[in-house]
Amino acid sequence: MSTKILTVDDSRTIRMIIQRAFRLHDCTLCQAANGEEGLMVAAREKPDLIILDITMPVMDGMTMLTKLKENPELKDIPVIMLTAESGRDSVLKISQIGVQDYLVKPFKEDQLVEKVSRIIALQVKAPMASTA
Amino acid sequence: MFNMNARPAALRDFRGGNEMLVVGSVGFIGDANGVVYVYVTEPFARTLASRMLGLAEAELDNHEMVNDVIGELSNMIVGAVKSRLCDSGVPCVLTIPSIVRGQNVSAEPALGSECRLLGVLCDTEPILLEILMKRSK
Repeated sequence: MSTKILTVDDSRTIRMIIQRAFRLHDCTLCQAANGEEGLMVAAREKPDLIILDITMPVMDGMTMLTKLKENPELKDIPVIMLTAESGRDSVLKISQIGVQDYLVKPFKEDQLVEKVSRIIALQVKAPMASTA
Repeated sequence: MFNMNARPAALRDFRGGNEMLVVGSVGFIGDANGVVYVYVTEPFARTLASRMLGLAEAELDNHEMVNDVIGELSNMIVGAVKSRLCDSGVPCVLTIPSIVRGQNVSAEPALGSECRLLGVLCDTEPILLEILMKRSK
């Protein structure tokens, strides 16, 4: 069974970049555009890992993270914060709620893959069989 | 993400011309209040979107993808500003990015706010940053 990763970001651009970053890996990417939607998708899909933005409409990433950690069924899902905010207070607050790692935008795709692979096992996709 | 070399540069204010511009803006609210506007020309906005998304410019849909990339670029720039403000003891939070398109676009500061213009050169293309800021305390 392939690994399942949930991306929660209001930017379609970032969601597309994350999808591209894992194109060579055997994983399924689910998406949500805000924290509220993210909690619903997390409950439904039970992802192996969540990549979470902070500043989003409807429900921000900090609120989603807090609610996730309060939910006994979801609290053990590892979370990587992917955000434009790198201030000391912000990092401290997030680490107190409980995240596995933190990546500041702009980021390189291989940095993200490396951080994810430190937390969950990623399998490289088998090459397609040639029909020639 | 863009594979470009960005550096501070002498200001070339291209806001008042006939070029079509894409302007991203993100605000910050707290002990400091303000907005940062990120001005780029429409052709350069398409180049940025193409680079960031890894798509040919012909593959970009009408405005949505380009707007989203400029919004995200604005968010990254203002996120760095916000982090520095917070680390300097000026706590604030960011607003959601918004985009304006048009020619001859400019923002006018409200009474009592400070305005700064900064030029950045990305390879050979200019980006103009306009920072409007009001300190609460």
